[in-house]
Amino acid sequence: MSENTSDDDTGVFESGLPGILGLIDVLISKIEAVMLAAGVLLMALNTCINVIARFVFGEGLFFSGEINRIMIIFVTFAGIGYAARHGRHIRMSAVYDALPKMGRKVLMIVIAFSTAAVMFFLCYYAYGYIETLYGRGRILPALGIPIWTIYVWAPVGFAITGIQYFLTGIKNLISGDVYLSTGVVDGYADTESEI
Amino acid sequence: ANWRYAHEEYEGDVQDVYAYKFKEFIEENSDHTLQVFRFGELGESDDIMEQAQSGILNFVNQSPGFTGSLIPEAQIFFIPYLMPTDMDTVIKFFRESEAINEDFPKLYAEKGLELLKMYPEGEMVVTVDEPVTSPAEFDNKKIRVMTNPLLSETYNAFGATPTPLPWGDVYGALQTNMIQGQENPIFWIESAGLYEVSPNLVFTGHGWFTTASMANKKFYDGLSDEDKKLIQNAADYAFEEIITHIDGLADEALAKIQKASDKVTVTRLNEEQIELFRARAPQVEKKFIEMTGKSGEALLDQFRKDLAAVTE
Amino acid sequence: MGMTLMLIMIGLLLLGFPMMIPLIVASIVGFVMMFNGLGQMETFIQQMMGGLRPASLIAVPMFILAADIMTRGQSADRLINMVMSFIGHVKGGLAISTAASCTLFGAVSGSTQATVVAVGSPLRPKMLKAGYSDSFTLALIINASDIAFLIPPSIGMIIYGIISQTSIAELFIAGIGPGLMILVMFSLYSLFYAYKYNVPTEAKATWSERGRSVRLAIWPLFFPVIIVGGIYGGIFSPTEAAAVCVLYAFLLEFVVFRSLKMPDIYRIAKSTGLITAVVFILVAVGNGFSWIISFAQIPQAVLESVGIADAGPVGVLVTICVAFFIACMFVDPIVVILVLTPIFAPAIQATGLDPVLVGVLITLQVAIGSATPPFGCDIFTAIAIFKRPYWEVIRGTPPFIFMLVASAGLIIAFPQIALFLRDLAFR
Ligand code: NA
Ligand code: NA
Repeated sequence: MSENTSDDDTGVFESGLPGILGLIDVLISKIEAVMLAAGVLLMALNTCINVIARFVFGEGLFFSGEINRIMIIFVTFAGIGYAARHGRHIRMSAVYDALPKMGRKVLMIVIAFSTAAVMFFLCYYAYGYIETLYGRGRILPALGIPIWTIYVWAPVGFAITGIQYFLTGIKNLISGDVYLSTGVVDGYADTESEI
Repeated sequence: ANWRYAHEEYEGDVQDVYAYKFKEFIEENSDHTLQVFRFGELGESDDIMEQAQSGILNFVNQSPGFTGSLIPEAQIFFIPYLMPTDMDTVIKFFRESEAINEDFPKLYAEKGLELLKMYPEGEMVVTVDEPVTSPAEFDNKKIRVMTNPLLSETYNAFGATPTPLPWGDVYGALQTNMIQGQENPIFWIESAGLYEVSPNLVFTGHGWFTTASMANKKFYDGLSDEDKKLIQNAADYAFEEIITHIDGLADEALAKIQKASDKVTVTRLNEEQIELFRARAPQVEKKFIEMTGKSGEALLDQFRKDLAAVTE
Repeated sequence: MGMTLMLIMIGLLLLGFPMMIPLIVASIVGFVMMFNGLGQMETFIQQMMGGLRPASLIAVPMFILAADIMTRGQSADRLINMVMSFIGHVKGGLAISTAASCTLFGAVSGSTQATVVAVGSPLRPKMLKAGYSDSFTLALIINASDIAFLIPPSIGMIIYGIISQTSIAELFIAGIGPGLMILVMFSLYSLFYAYKYNVPTEAKATWSERGRSVRLAIWPLFFPVIIVGGIYGGIFSPTEAAAVCVLYAFLLEFVVFRSLKMPDIYRIAKSTGLITAVVFILVAVGNGFSWIISFAQIPQAVLESVGIADAGPVGVLVTICVAFFIACMFVDPIVVILVLTPIFAPAIQATGLDPVLVGVLITLQVAIGSATPPFGCDIFTAIAIFKRPYWEVIRGTPPFIFMLVASAGLIIAFPQIALFLRDLAFR
């Protein structure tokens, strides 16, 4: 059954970058994958331990909610770069799909570069927001740690996503096919014929 | 100019009434207009506080308990039996207390906020699965608290098991007996229907739900003296109005509750019973000082002096 | 301003930008218009982070994770085989079983997408083999998955409950009646379809085969028992139930059935994390977008111009249904709930409508919208999993959408369909 599920295309990531940059890219991809899996499993573990602690020992973990909040942010921002890498961001492709190949290519180049620009824009302001928070000194009440520390993944995630879309734009400029991401060729029609 | 004001409650709640009285005064006595945003319209409590700090909002109303992650000393309102228990003395306390009227404005100013008014919303009432009159009867009872270490310490001190839970889960958790109780002002117990699932109301007299209205300090300092006076007068006006408003509000809510359900019991602790709980307060005070250091200790001393002054 | 933002969003959406981009760009434009520049952009970031704050959000990854473990392991298969052994021989039985499986699966899953994956993956091949057309099969799967959204637990209801401060427990109970009503409708249509096209049936299972299938399904059958028992027995909250599901699914597949190995958990968790991120980034930017909409007081202006305030309860309900239906054709359901619910809150309050009834209708509309062309996440999920072209996936949907819209009409006309069980349990 697992052949049918939608995520096996994220099994191996081949970087579109040459040489040492490619190695770094693959390494980042591996780290993202581990972060994603660890984040999700930690949420499950943390919540279950809280339930068990409360039921069996009568007293739950005081900081359980805050851990989950941290994990949600962690998974989201580790995941958006990973999703960009594998061309998995949700998009409405109906009109796009109807275009001829050349039209799709031009549109994809526009999409990739402008998405990258938007991501870098958000990265800049996310960094600014963290700086502001750092200055204000707000803390998480139960864990007692400064709130800005749990947000640092946001600018990092935006930056990695921006880089991925930028590279996708480049890839589309220099090669013949249409690429959804540096490693994923566009179109269910294409994947269909490969199955 | 058009000014913006956000608070953390719903339509018709105490903070909303205060906000609209404030608005009424400003708009009747000047050409300024005031836009009021309620809970959730611009985010949660922490969000509107940050927006006030960054100047998007000119005014914000936030309960000091929620401000604890920004101004730790503000959590002093979680310390049990630090305030008088009867309404008249409480109001006298808010009018005259040096801690509230002189010390707190300094603490808020450090965070870029001009404190306008601190005011009480209502006495905290505990609802439990069975009537409780002593710390011993709180044994093994999970009482829902907001995620706040000091509030937790209070219920620890009272002999209960404090259990942090998001507000959205409270009704269901009471219903399924996942928790055995919670605390809130009585009009919230009424409007959220919590008495349906947690019918034993205990008036412990341990604290008042307090809140505070404030302005962005940079905005305030940049105003003309005339506008500053306008705002101060509006805050005074809204304060007087709110005191009339909350007078009898609790009795009204209680009457509604008793009309809606015959399962409801009301327990008002007598002086002896209160003494048992009051004896546990030092433990919470110690924790407060642990969390806030010298500045918290000084504030606590001032609170005690103010309390002594109004109860003479 | 509202119009400008709308046009930007729809334009970018249609061009095929990743869905976060239309929301982000529209928000940026909104901030620039509101604050004459980029000076307050940090508040957009603040609101993105605020969107990721609600404690109940963890139910989303937890249900996806649990569903993925069950589907890759044996639990999902065993449940489906059990249902099949009882109605596989009935004319249209396989189609009815598919709808019934979606309903059953709905009791452990909170999302339509997870249901499409979990029920669709094993059942579509069986339906094709039995002689159902692919367009009917795909349409049935993506639309029957709506039932899972109405049967508790439901992510849509959890999110609606948080935003509108409505009891999630009451919403859950109120979803059961409409869910079962839709199951009956779909079953009748499947019967009609099977007779019209004379779809062959499976051999009738013997009672010993049935007994065997039930025995095999005993462990997975405990899922609903654990969840319902756990929630109503006061052991955990509906949100925490999702994580308990994961724990139970893990125990079944890794310890009892031994169908999965430790490396599998890494792959499954990674893919759950990926889906979670893709959805949550939209939750985040959706929150930022709705902040600027709310700050600019656009909803009030729109509702004033439509005159919804004096539309009366039925008028408000119909307006809500239409607005959510249309929005869900374009935008992710969770984002739609996040953006639109606060907009309608004043009208709901003004007309004194039961927020639980409104919640059920919104959940239904959102579920319908997720399978409605042109854009719906279930359609895309189906395209992704079954690797079929867009047109084929949506071709069979009109009769189903008609039935779903009719059921919304029925709930408006007879609110007791939703509220009867709620009143029984809570009033
Ligand atoms: Na469900
Ligand atoms: Na669906």
